[in-house]
Amino acid sequence: MSLEALSRLVEEGEAEEAGAAAKTLLSDGQDPLGMIECMTRTMARVGDQFARLEIFLPEIMLAGEALSAVVAEMAPYLEKAGGQRIRGKIVLGVVKGDLHEIGKNIVKLILETNGFQVEDLGYNVDALAFVKAAEAMGADIIGASSLMTTTMPRQKEIIDILKEMGIRDRYKVIIGGAPTSRLWADKIGADLYCPDARSTPDLIAELLK
Amino acid sequence: MSTAYRMWEILERAKTGPFMEEEAFLPKRFTPTLKKLIRKYEIRYDPETPCPADDAMADSIWQAGWDLFREVGYYNTDTHRIIQVSDEEIREALYTAQRRYWVGAGRDARRFGHRTVEDPEPPFCIMSPDITVDEKYHASMCMAYLKEPLLDGLCGPILEETFGHLIESSGPTEISGCIQHIYNQKMAARLVGRPDIFMVAVGTAEHDSGQIAVSNEQWGVQKTDARLVGGLTEFKTADTLLNRSLHYAQYGCFTGHLTGPIYGGWCMGAEGTAVAIAAYSIIGLVVHGAVFNQHFPFHLNLGSNTTRELLWPIAMAGQALSRNSKLIYTSNGFANAGPMTEMLFRETAVHAMVSTVCGWNLWEMASARNKYRNRATPLEARLGCEAGHAVAHGGLSREQVNEIALRILASYEDQAADAPIGAEYPECYDVAKAVPTPEHLDMYRRVKDEIAALGVPFPY
Repeated sequence: MSLEALSRLVEEGEAEEAGAAAKTLLSDGQDPLGMIECMTRTMARVGDQFARLEIFLPEIMLAGEALSAVVAEMAPYLEKAGGQRIRGKIVLGVVKGDLHEIGKNIVKLILETNGFQVEDLGYNVDALAFVKAAEAMGADIIGASSLMTTTMPRQKEIIDILKEMGIRDRYKVIIGGAPTSRLWADKIGADLYCPDARSTPDLIAELLK
Repeated sequence: MSTAYRMWEILERAKTGPFMEEEAFLPKRFTPTLKKLIRKYEIRYDPETPCPADDAMADSIWQAGWDLFREVGYYNTDTHRIIQVSDEEIREALYTAQRRYWVGAGRDARRFGHRTVEDPEPPFCIMSPDITVDEKYHASMCMAYLKEPLLDGLCGPILEETFGHLIESSGPTEISGCIQHIYNQKMAARLVGRPDIFMVAVGTAEHDSGQIAVSNEQWGVQKTDARLVGGLTEFKTADTLLNRSLHYAQYGCFTGHLTGPIYGGWCMGAEGTAVAIAAYSIIGLVVHGAVFNQHFPFHLNLGSNTTRELLWPIAMAGQALSRNSKLIYTSNGFANAGPMTEMLFRETAVHAMVSTVCGWNLWEMASARNKYRNRATPLEARLGCEAGHAVAHGGLSREQVNEIALRILASYEDQAADAPIGAEYPECYDVAKAVPTPEHLDMYRRVKDEIAALGVPFPY
């Protein structure tokens, strides 16, 4: 078993086999940080294939599951090695009144595979629930998605509530979704507009600098 | 509601069907079944032929769609239960479905019906900008669409504001916005002299309460009009959606079922998208009692359906539905480019021609990926519907349309990702008179001439 073989199993979405392979490699003395670097490269490759639609959503979701299986095996080793570096903590959800979540789910996956810790609040999420969840998590970022023009104002509600509570500066608020735009983000005072899933990790990393 | 006789049995299953966690439904149930059926029925996408003439493949897609619905069911996200139906119930619903309906009223009534592949009867043309507009342009844009000669039905633009208040879904502003929407639409119809024309309304309603608020025979959505009930991508519904189909049935208006299967998403590629469209049409009939299905399959990245990987499923699903049922269905175009660009006219024409020859009725045209406020006009819908009429009256075959589509695709396909978003409504139309500007008309005529030269026999 090699890191290359593990990488293939993750790409093919074989969660059970990838977990077992990771376990074997680690017990044989594989450096966990080296494994993380390998997995990061693997998921970047999978992400690029998905961005070009050479593979489709089910395939990248399966690869994400396989990665989770590997990460679960790595956890005790990473703790010994000083812990995994988390690039940022995000609460993510679709705003109240909106039941469309495919875009949010893709963003979640891309963020998780790029080293962000994500708490998924689901869809039809009340503005105050975003804020409460961010407080409970100690999040850096609140991410709000909207697919309908008439649910976009709910993104602004989150910002309004943060201001009312006097904690606007504590969180970066990022928005996305088909009808949203940079113009809309500026208008409501959001910190970042995410035009697509692929560019989101880099944009957030830049925002958190 | 065409299957009203089973409405309560179906609704009961939304509460008593098999339980499943929502996270598992698509990855564990929907996509694996779809993948299995694509293999079983040997369905293959051919990028060289965006408009195939393949009857056997069409029949396979129909059967795969039927099996997909029967095996997977339809998930209610509020109850975490799966609505399941039997083959017998599907057969019964398909038998009792009507081939055609009279919609609208009086002098403005129109026949909205099933079409055959390569049908010489022109498509029923519903025109819709599909986008949001500023409050100040809403009535004008409704009038501009109603001035279109080939319009058989109107779905008006969506309001984002009502009397200066931002409309929020499920809030009071949505109720007000919906009433304002239907008032504008009905007033425009009267002013234009088509007071009883068929309408699909109101797009401003995202929540069921907004739809229910506009049911009124005197001033609102009438029984001769239609309303839509959407699906959640993929194969999911919710109580707020079931509320609509129940209300539409009990009120007595026509129900349309609105779905947008996603290429690149849980449907995977072109094959899965085609199968899903066929399945959604059966779902619309059986679950929602829809008299017509309105489909807008779209590309996950582009948000459009005028490139070949989307034209193929539109073409094949249209043929599948046409050959194997008497269902009525509309093809909703989503273009990459925006108004007053040659690319938008070309995209619309291709979408309309491929759809028409494959048995669809038309719903044209969302432009600039349905993303930008005020960026849609009736003129692209005009060209699309004229192209549809030309294909029908001219007796064009699927092979002929395929050749024409390939030639036009070559002019825009590589620009799909970076398409121009074009101009806003007041830049391309005289807002007061609701007529296109001379510059816009010139562009329309230029592209129409170019398409006519490819062998498209426009009726006038």
